[in-house]
Amino acid sequence: MLYQIEHTTLYEYQSSVSLCHNQAYLLPRETPSQTCLTSELRIDPQPSDLIERSDFFGNRRVYFAVEQPHQEQKVTMLGQVRILGELSLFSSGQAISWELARDRLAGDRSRNLLEACPFLYPSRHIPTSPALADYARRSFPPGRLLLDAVKELVARIHCDFIYDPGFTTIATPLDEVLEHRRGVCQDFAHLAIGCLRSLGLAARYVSGYLETLPPPGKTRLVGADASHAWISVLVPGGGWVDFDPTNDQQVSEHHLTVAWGRDFADVVPLKGVAFGGGEHKLKVAVDVQRLE
Amino acid sequence: MTVTDEALNFGVQYYETRLGSYDETLTDRGELLPHWQMLLDSLDMLGGDKLEQRRREAQRLLRDNGVTYNVYDELNGTRRPWQLDPVPLLIDADGWEKIADGLQQRAVLFDLIFRDLYGDQRLLHKGVLPAELVYAHQGFLFPCMGLPATDARQLALHAVNLARGPDGRMWVVDDRTQAPSGAGYALENRTVMTRVMPELFHGQSIRRLAAYFRGLHEGLARLAPQRRDDPRVVVLTPGPFNETYFEHAYLASYLGYSLVQGDDLTVRDGRVWLKSLDGLRQVDVILRRVDDSYCDPLELRSESGLGVAGLLEAVRHGKVRVANPLGSSALENPALLPFLPGLCRYLLDEELKLPSLATWWCGQPLERQFVLDNLDRLLVRNINREGGSATLIGDQLTSAERDLLRLRILAEPHLYVGQERVSFSTAPSLVDGQIVPRHAILRTFVSLQGDGEYQVMPGGLTRVAPSEGTLAVSNQAGGVSKDTLVINNRPEPHVSLWLQPQANQLIQPQTRALPSRAADNLFWVGRYLERTEAVARLLRAVLQKSREVRQFGEAESLGCLQVLLRAMTHVTDCYPGFVGEGSEDLLNDPHEELVSLFRDADREGSLAYSLKLFQLTASSVGDLWSSDAWRLVNALEEEWQEASFSQLVDEDRALFHLDQLMLKLMAFNGLIADNLVREPGWVMLDIGRRLERALASLALWRATLVPRHPKGVAQQVMEKVLAVCESLLTYRRRYRSFMHLPTVLELLLLDKAHPRGLAFQLHQLKNDIEVLPRSTPGYRLATDQRILLEAETRLFLSDVTQLATAGQDDGVFQALDDLLAGLSQALWNLSEDLTLTYFSHVQGTRLQQVEVQNEA
Repeated sequence: MLYQIEHTTLYEYQSSVSLCHNQAYLLPRETPSQTCLTSELRIDPQPSDLIERSDFFGNRRVYFAVEQPHQEQKVTMLGQVRILGELSLFSSGQAISWELARDRLAGDRSRNLLEACPFLYPSRHIPTSPALADYARRSFPPGRLLLDAVKELVARIHCDFIYDPGFTTIATPLDEVLEHRRGVCQDFAHLAIGCLRSLGLAARYVSGYLETLPPPGKTRLVGADASHAWISVLVPGGGWVDFDPTNDQQVSEHHLTVAWGRDFADVVPLKGVAFGGGEHKLKVAVDVQRLE
Repeated sequence: MTVTDEALNFGVQYYETRLGSYDETLTDRGELLPHWQMLLDSLDMLGGDKLEQRRREAQRLLRDNGVTYNVYDELNGTRRPWQLDPVPLLIDADGWEKIADGLQQRAVLFDLIFRDLYGDQRLLHKGVLPAELVYAHQGFLFPCMGLPATDARQLALHAVNLARGPDGRMWVVDDRTQAPSGAGYALENRTVMTRVMPELFHGQSIRRLAAYFRGLHEGLARLAPQRRDDPRVVVLTPGPFNETYFEHAYLASYLGYSLVQGDDLTVRDGRVWLKSLDGLRQVDVILRRVDDSYCDPLELRSESGLGVAGLLEAVRHGKVRVANPLGSSALENPALLPFLPGLCRYLLDEELKLPSLATWWCGQPLERQFVLDNLDRLLVRNINREGGSATLIGDQLTSAERDLLRLRILAEPHLYVGQERVSFSTAPSLVDGQIVPRHAILRTFVSLQGDGEYQVMPGGLTRVAPSEGTLAVSNQAGGVSKDTLVINNRPEPHVSLWLQPQANQLIQPQTRALPSRAADNLFWVGRYLERTEAVARLLRAVLQKSREVRQFGEAESLGCLQVLLRAMTHVTDCYPGFVGEGSEDLLNDPHEELVSLFRDADREGSLAYSLKLFQLTASSVGDLWSSDAWRLVNALEEEWQEASFSQLVDEDRALFHLDQLMLKLMAFNGLIADNLVREPGWVMLDIGRRLERALASLALWRATLVPRHPKGVAQQVMEKVLAVCESLLTYRRRYRSFMHLPTVLELLLLDKAHPRGLAFQLHQLKNDIEVLPRSTPGYRLATDQRILLEAETRLFLSDVTQLATAGQDDGVFQALDDLLAGLSQALWNLSEDLTLTYFSHVQGTRLQQVEVQNEA
């Protein structure tokens, strides 16, 4: 399946900004199930310095700086991504119990599992805690297959928590999310990851897009989409498997990956430090369109 | 020599290692080492009283030089004088050789580990180092991966805490790698010791410290990506509230670098620039004293206000080097210690020369079991300093606490290490007039030198435990420091920091760029200096007058006193005070309000407040002062503490303190006038002084000379105003005994030759402003020049006779008030304009922009 993505971020400042440094994780990466055919960043005003580098996790990190005074900054990512067919989710290599997975992650430091290591421990926005482990435990009875357990955990999060864009801030602490049982996709992904890591499993945060289909009979609204986030859990010996706690889905051919990291902080789509500016307004428009 | 009882109880006859642990003075067979014998003998000769005198003298020197260690949680201010024990720690040449050799090897090893962890991670792939030990440590910063792009050594500085174990060997307690402190304190200790204990340095040949700093200077220059012959190096400090700020300023000044804060630097064009008074200057090397994660709000901690946005990217660009390199906090991980012998064999094919404290990392099953089985005998540490639990001592825990610890270790074993509790050696220390053994820890310093190899400071910073038997040694806990003398077998040539130019080489003068923030601070140093003086002078006049009133009780004197009291409120801007409704009671009984204006440091405008801000701004540009200036700043602080703690009940004491304060302010002024080079820094300070002197005078005159008083009162008021303005003598000489408003105004307002007059201030301001760097060329006047020209013209076009004329029924001299108010407004405008033009580091608020991912 071929998709076209357009993601525009617009900052409007009250007063002039003299200098702005930015870091963008907007260019889609390659994954075993996806190739990025084209991708470009259009930035207005013209940045004086722009460089793309691969980061530690293999994501496409872009740094740019706008060094001329400006009152508005517009960043647009235009790209085409092809999803390489449906992945068979449960291959035989993935049929291991969660305890076995945990023990192998704790003991085995072979090259394959070294990759998992950064995703085993607390990170900036995701602590591990007995409370998170307790919440998860019900879905992890002894001997259960890892992926079955994760699937149920994700379903429970979907069921127990209310999607509420008004509740969340950039970094809502997980214990608050857990207490108030509400949040947005970012929080649900953090929560699921926190649960898994608290049990000794390796999980990472995936940033990307989800193609939304209009209700039957309605036309698709252009630009009404948003960036999305889900999780990926490592099956030792069987690779990474993605789940979407916000929508209680296994990740499908409608999920387009941009970047992954330990949590949101590693892959913020666009962040910056600006000097001057006063109050500012942020507008984001995302459009994901299926071409074939 | 008379032998007193005390002397008998002192020195070598008395000193014994009462703690039963290894002592620095003894061989392993318990014999006194010859160099210690010499030291203890000479201390005996000196006697207890003399030694105590020397200790006090050292303390005085340190205090006068402003050597402090800031402690955050103290009630009375945050600064604590640095404590120095005049009894040094001695290390003989052979012993030192071994230590230095081991330290050099350790620095080489740590540098290789650093480059591997942030490079290709061979150590993790080969399993030499467990990955979770690295990744679970908060000091390992993912954004710094790949930063060390060169093959050259990255780690520029390495500090190692050493202690001698019961077996007589030196053990490494821990390592400091991200922003090691202490080298400057060690240097200052030595400077003081050579003054107070000169005899120690005559008898034996002692290794000097200067060569180390020269090596450091060359080593840092060598780090520069380009322009290695003359790079710009800056010291990045978190600011004057940091605990070791003194050292940042001291080292910057000693090494000739600019002392900067994060806001002073900016990243443009992939390079780092210093925002200086005359534009941007490229920075080649940053010697940082800011912790790793605070160095770049873009990629590291976004809430940090101490760093430089875009710094990491500039480092990746290869246009700037940071010492120590960003990410080096990964090496401050106690879990590394047990792996060092293996790492040393793997990376260097050598045995590790300096052993570390025996440490067991709980990430491995056998080690974990050992730690759990021996919890009551070990120290348990979380590998992350922010991990909530610092060091836990097993046998000091209750059994419930120990069970909890056991559970925590089992839950996250890779986060814990157990460490052997070693009884460190003791060293002779002067405590309460006696030489007694105290546990000691030696911090040593290693740095890159000019040829790219590591050098070791011969000596270091020894710290002793505050009380007997205590093993914990830290500056936070109030420890005492010692100089550390390495005895040399052969005399050492004198080394200075000065370079010898080639025969025909012409050295280009380079003025140290003045950071805009420093310029701003100097401007305020000038302003608070004058504000303090103005308030002190007026307060003195008020107290003198009030004494006169009490003694003679004249109505005129009382009238004059009330005018002065009101002026007090106007000049300090502390309304309502003696002005407006309800002021009658205060005017009748001004004592309480005066006390508050004198010593209430939290009240804006009070004398204490202005003095406090003077000291604050002066110490935040500490690297720019000479040691004499420092001494004066500190003397002022001390004077003030004495004044403000004594109850201001009688006027005499207050007057005495005001006189003392004034003398010291005068001395500071004299020092500035006589010793500071007329570079932009001086100009900024002078502008601040002139501006404030003019503004304070205008406020005083408007409060005293503008209202019309009965004749007898008016004369007294004019006399007092002249006295406050240090103009009475001149007036008497010039106008003899005629006290008359037009002549008073002539002297105070129009006389260009009178350094206390308004015309003089405006003239100086004009001169100062002429030499400021400007971006507007050509013949058009800039705003500040225009404001001054207008003000001066207005002043000189005024007619003093007319100013001193008022209508019959008017209560005030309206024309005079208009003039003074107009000039006052002009000067405020000038201040604002200068701030906008020259202190542009105030770049407005810094915004953090982050987009939330929030799809349903």
